[in-house]
Amino acid sequence: MKFFNLLKKELTELVNKQMILGIVVICVLFSIVGQVMQSSLDEIAKNEYKINIMDCDNTSFTQSIFDDMKAMQADITMIGVENSGKEFQQIMSENNIDSLVVIPEGFTRDLLENGDISALTAVSVMKSASSMSMISSDNSSALALFQSIISNKLMEKGGFSEQDIALVQQPFKINEITVVSDKSAEISMSTIIQNISVQNMIIPIIVFVLVMYTSQMIIGAISTEKIDKTLETLLSAPVSRSSVLGAKMLAAAIVALINAVAFMIGYYVFIGGAMTSAMSGEEIGAVVSDTLSYDKAMNQLGLHLGITDYLLVGVQTFLTIMISLSVSIILGAMANDAKSAQSLIMPVMMCAMIPYMISMVSDINTLPTVIKTIVYTIPFTHTFTAMNNLMFGNDKIFVFGIIYQAVVFVICMFFAIRIFNSDKIFTSSLNLGQKSRLRKKSR
Amino acid sequence: MNNILEVNGLTKQYSTVLAVDNISFSIREGEIFALIGSNGAGKTTTIRMISTLIKPTSGDAVVNGFSVTKQPEKVRECITYLPDEAGAYKNMKGTAYLKFMAGLFTDDSAKVNEYVSRAVEICGLKERLNDKIGTYSRGMIRKLLLARAVMNKPKLAILDEPTSGLDVLNAMEIRRMIKKLAKEDGTAFLLSSHNMLEIEFVSDRVGIVAGGHLMTEGAVSDLKARYNTSNLEEVFERVVVSHEVL
Repeated sequence: MKFFNLLKKELTELVNKQMILGIVVICVLFSIVGQVMQSSLDEIAKNEYKINIMDCDNTSFTQSIFDDMKAMQADITMIGVENSGKEFQQIMSENNIDSLVVIPEGFTRDLLENGDISALTAVSVMKSASSMSMISSDNSSALALFQSIISNKLMEKGGFSEQDIALVQQPFKINEITVVSDKSAEISMSTIIQNISVQNMIIPIIVFVLVMYTSQMIIGAISTEKIDKTLETLLSAPVSRSSVLGAKMLAAAIVALINAVAFMIGYYVFIGGAMTSAMSGEEIGAVVSDTLSYDKAMNQLGLHLGITDYLLVGVQTFLTIMISLSVSIILGAMANDAKSAQSLIMPVMMCAMIPYMISMVSDINTLPTVIKTIVYTIPFTHTFTAMNNLMFGNDKIFVFGIIYQAVVFVICMFFAIRIFNSDKIFTSSLNLGQKSRLRKKSR
Repeated sequence: MNNILEVNGLTKQYSTVLAVDNISFSIREGEIFALIGSNGAGKTTTIRMISTLIKPTSGDAVVNGFSVTKQPEKVRECITYLPDEAGAYKNMKGTAYLKFMAGLFTDDSAKVNEYVSRAVEICGLKERLNDKIGTYSRGMIRKLLLARAVMNKPKLAILDEPTSGLDVLNAMEIRRMIKKLAKEDGTAFLLSSHNMLEIEFVSDRVGIVAGGHLMTEGAVSDLKARYNTSNLEEVFERVVVSHEVL
């Protein structure tokens, strides 16, 4: 009985409105991320058997391949051969498609009569660096279907020589072309995404860590000073409140900067070093040569980021930290005790967590408009998508992001300074329904 | 002697609560004035307004000739404030804390050293000042904070419940310290407390606050004579419970 009495008391302490709010917020977060993932998975299912083909060979053999494909429920869209003289980016833009398999003239002759390994051209339009962006541009299921059908047709002939067996196993080569906006390069889209995602992953991680770190520091610093009443002592000394606030913000920004540098060094030195040391000499040689062609292709596609781009991302990261600091000042001013100070970090955490998780699984720019608008309302989202927007020429979204963040920062800072310079720094509280002990005590 | 503090009709209205209503009193140089009252009477709000931490809804307080509403920066140069149950930075060592606080009152390093030396002498914590404040007892922290509050010989030291939570010996030591500093340095003290015996011992004059009003004020001996009582507690009871204002 005594135990249940104790248990009841512990549960009453733990199950409060803050805890319930936390659960609700987590459910909302997972529901948003779940919806995003569901829409992406629906897109995958929708595109699985959707194949865009330009048949420049136009033989009975290629027709029989398409018949087999249709029999397998594939949704084939034929692109007119009269387009073949145009640039791929133009053809795809005109036909509003993101993937295309081109069968070159002489494909059947080379394959059936000359016994040569012929080549198919697979073109993909790349709109973002997210792995989910590959869904609509991916030609791999179409190419696998081609290989399976052609291999079956060759096997039907029978009487294979060694050369024939090799041909049956690998009936054609694939020339992969990636299109970005109005530029194209001979490189696989998956190669670009693999390389970019490693490079782009660091920004969201650093931003997420910085936001969490600075918020926790400022909320902790202000709430501790408030709870210990050292803030009253400090603000009654001959020093301006702006100096106290400025010193707190600058200290938090410096520590955050040191953390960012440590993270970047850690990421490039240790993770990069670990990846290099795991490779043999031959592999390193291959990586170096791949890197050279990769860099060339990136420049050709206009995906290479310059110093100005990195500076702009830096500006946006700085704005993000400043927003996080100013919001944290407002939240820290509302803390009455250590417990409420811990809960107050939750709004900032959610604002960082939602775009962070979504940017990990999907491209925010391709989300349904309503979800996209909601996610972009969170000012931190613009920093998570900054690299992607700069790379793929979404300059309007990027510039809007910087302006939006600057406006949010000015508004938050205005309220933070106002709270710090008014009685509210001592009288504000967020009790989530509890009676204000602070106000009662302050009388 | 000159008035160091003149409070004129100080009022503080929170949204629905009138915390302080038209309070007026004054304190002379070297005088110890105590505001006594029950919890929620309005003592801390009055003290916070005089300390420039919160703004009065109406009225004013003038400290050493400077208005708390118009010249709060100047007021803060003349006062020090020790909040009720205040803490200090736990990761700082005692000496470092004193040095940090002294640095807020002057940019002159010689003066900083002078203030710190004085605080070291007043608090009597000796070698413990080299330890982190997190390791101090409540009494030690209170002595450190009191030494901090008087190290620069302010014109007015405002102490909210200066001995709350302290044992008898520590409380007695702090009371003696306050009396000595007022007498020797001429620092005026504004105290708040609900410990009548303490106030009777330490203060020159007393103001009794109830429901945000200053009900009555005067020297302890005058109040006892006026209400024909043997101690301050009985005066307090008659003023607060029976609303007798003589």
